[in-house]
Amino acid sequence: MVPGFGGSTLRIDLSGGTVTRAPLDPAFARAWLGGRGYVDKIVYDEVPRDADPLGPENRLVVTPGVFSGHFAPSGSKCCFGAVSPLTNGAGDSTVGGHFGPELKFAGYDLLVFEGIATTPTYLFIDDDRVELRDAAAYWGHGTMDAERMLKEDLGEDVEIACIGPAGENLVSFACIGHDYGRQAGRCGIGAVMGSKRLKAIVVRGTKALPVHDLPALKASTMEIMKRTAQHPNMAPWQKYGTAMFIGWSNEHGVYPAHNFQTTYFERHPGIDGQTLVDRLLVSHKACFGCWMNCGKYSRASLPGREAVYVEGPEYETGALCGGNCGFDQIEQVAYVNWLFDRAGIDTMTGGGMAAFAMECYEKGLITRDRLEGHEMRWGSIEDLEHFVDMLVERRGIGDAFARGYASAAAQIGGGAERLACQVKGQGMSGYDGRPAPGMLLSYMTADIGAHHNRSWTITMDEDLGKNVLTGKAKVVVHLQHIRPFFDTVSCCRLFWGEVDVSDEEHIAAIRMMTGWHDLTLEEILLLSERVWNINRAHYLERNGGPGRRFDYPNARFYEEEVPTGPSQGARLTLEDLDLMLDEYYAARGWGKDGNPSREVLLDLGLDTCVANLEREGLLGTLTEPLPPVRGERYKPKAF
Amino acid sequence: MIAVTIKAGGLLTDYLRPDADAYSRRVEARDGETLRQILEAIGVPPGHVAVATANGGKIALDYAPRDGDEITLLPPVQGG
Repeated sequence: MVPGFGGSTLRIDLSGGTVTRAPLDPAFARAWLGGRGYVDKIVYDEVPRDADPLGPENRLVVTPGVFSGHFAPSGSKCCFGAVSPLTNGAGDSTVGGHFGPELKFAGYDLLVFEGIATTPTYLFIDDDRVELRDAAAYWGHGTMDAERMLKEDLGEDVEIACIGPAGENLVSFACIGHDYGRQAGRCGIGAVMGSKRLKAIVVRGTKALPVHDLPALKASTMEIMKRTAQHPNMAPWQKYGTAMFIGWSNEHGVYPAHNFQTTYFERHPGIDGQTLVDRLLVSHKACFGCWMNCGKYSRASLPGREAVYVEGPEYETGALCGGNCGFDQIEQVAYVNWLFDRAGIDTMTGGGMAAFAMECYEKGLITRDRLEGHEMRWGSIEDLEHFVDMLVERRGIGDAFARGYASAAAQIGGGAERLACQVKGQGMSGYDGRPAPGMLLSYMTADIGAHHNRSWTITMDEDLGKNVLTGKAKVVVHLQHIRPFFDTVSCCRLFWGEVDVSDEEHIAAIRMMTGWHDLTLEEILLLSERVWNINRAHYLERNGGPGRRFDYPNARFYEEEVPTGPSQGARLTLEDLDLMLDEYYAARGWGKDGNPSREVLLDLGLDTCVANLEREGLLGTLTEPLPPVRGERYKPKAF
Repeated sequence: MIAVTIKAGGLLTDYLRPDADAYSRRVEARDGETLRQILEAIGVPPGHVAVATANGGKIALDYAPRDGDEITLLPPVQGG
């Protein structure tokens, strides 16, 4: 048994109704660390390339990494992954709260679900007791209701991850809810859970987590606590959370407004973090072991509707369900947040998809007859409510939207694909890349599509120049290695990004948890790069090549200039995007076609990927020597 | 003249060049000068300030600090 881990894994065959327990293999644990590392290795090795993401052969992998459950800076996360029905590549999404730690306290590091249950089912884990149970009573209920009902039936001391009606009905961007308002949101992992008729995973864990050097870990964490408590960023984060940046992203002209038609929303003060705190805040809310409590538990009341409680709105929701849909009141944004949470829809792709529908309506591409007589106006709660119903119940055009951007654009016609703001099917996060080319490159090249958590470069874009295209790709590569590290070890990135807890301090904490004294940052970065290349190989093996053809956003981002606001006139061309991609592929050791080269894959020890890509004719050809280290750290210009 | 304490973390620390506790710098300014003007004068790019607070409450960069204010500057979120 490896200290720091729960020690056990479970294989759950939902078709056969069987659960198989096995000890965690120490070599596997060291090689892949947990979280995203386990997910991407397992889905690459086990899911046939022609398997339907919503079929029995897909795997649903649930895994807290090594940090989860420890007394260390926010070891709160749990990773959910599968082949994504949204991107048709490996997908993963993490959730904070208490679910991951509880799994570790029950003794588990890894759950792998396969098959499809014949009837709605939930998995109940009570330490060593593991049972598949009938979920008929909870099926059809929203995520918060289902969680409440399960707690009423099983006790307040369980932790729950569950899906809502959107997941049950296989909406391709369905999420997994936890703790009344936190989500593993992206990649549609909730739809995979729904396809398996798995309503929920319920866990109660009461065991102690073994730690290699508990006194050292306690001392180190206490020092970090004391230091970060004095950090200037801490108090504003505690008071306002992520929503405080809505003003900034507007003032800098990177905020998505009206489906990314422009990058400034003049009514943003109505939905900013200050407004949230002034008008909605009930209490601050923290994840397991966290003293930042950046979560804002809110109550919103709209005329004629019941008051709703929601965690947030976070920045991304405030962007994509705020100005992007034309909502200018914080109560409206919170209500939309709640609508999506209840249904079990990712607020990011959900907000992006609703804004896409609103612009199609504005431009006459969708008319009332395809909306069951309703409209789809900017800033209309009534219209959005009806749209969500059509999505979740998959009625009419709602079914096309539920399948994803490509399906919706094809059904709408009239060039709607230009308005579908996504890469690889994943809706864009809440920053526009036209005034920030490094950010757009980050979206274009992220393994799960246009998501910001892999690489976020807007500060660098400001620093090096908003019009500068070159010199940023190597930094994007480095960020794509260091940032997913936090999703691999299941701790929150905010302590690293916001209050200056260094990557070395995180790795030192892992050494104290596990006794892996020789663990280094270089090994971690190599693991991240290995996972990145596995996911690229996986994507190509499922979707064909060349890889480059998948790495473009919709035409809005290289044919339209920003029309208003601080970034007015910002514009990129297709040639600009190609220039950035050339530099990026070279920095990764990939061919100009965007396919990984034999040289880089062998350097990473990925012989299986070489064999698989070679068989399919998908190996890239290097045109310049393989860089010995892929990626480069970025430090802002010294004063 | 007034004196204010400016605190900043993350990437702003380098620009601030703190003179106390790694995060703080005491700065003198003219009465009525805005925070933006003060930051420009001491070499902190206002464009890198995502959020500013005075004594715990959120303020805009055109806020004119008062003597004794404690100003906190936040860099942009690292992509929450």
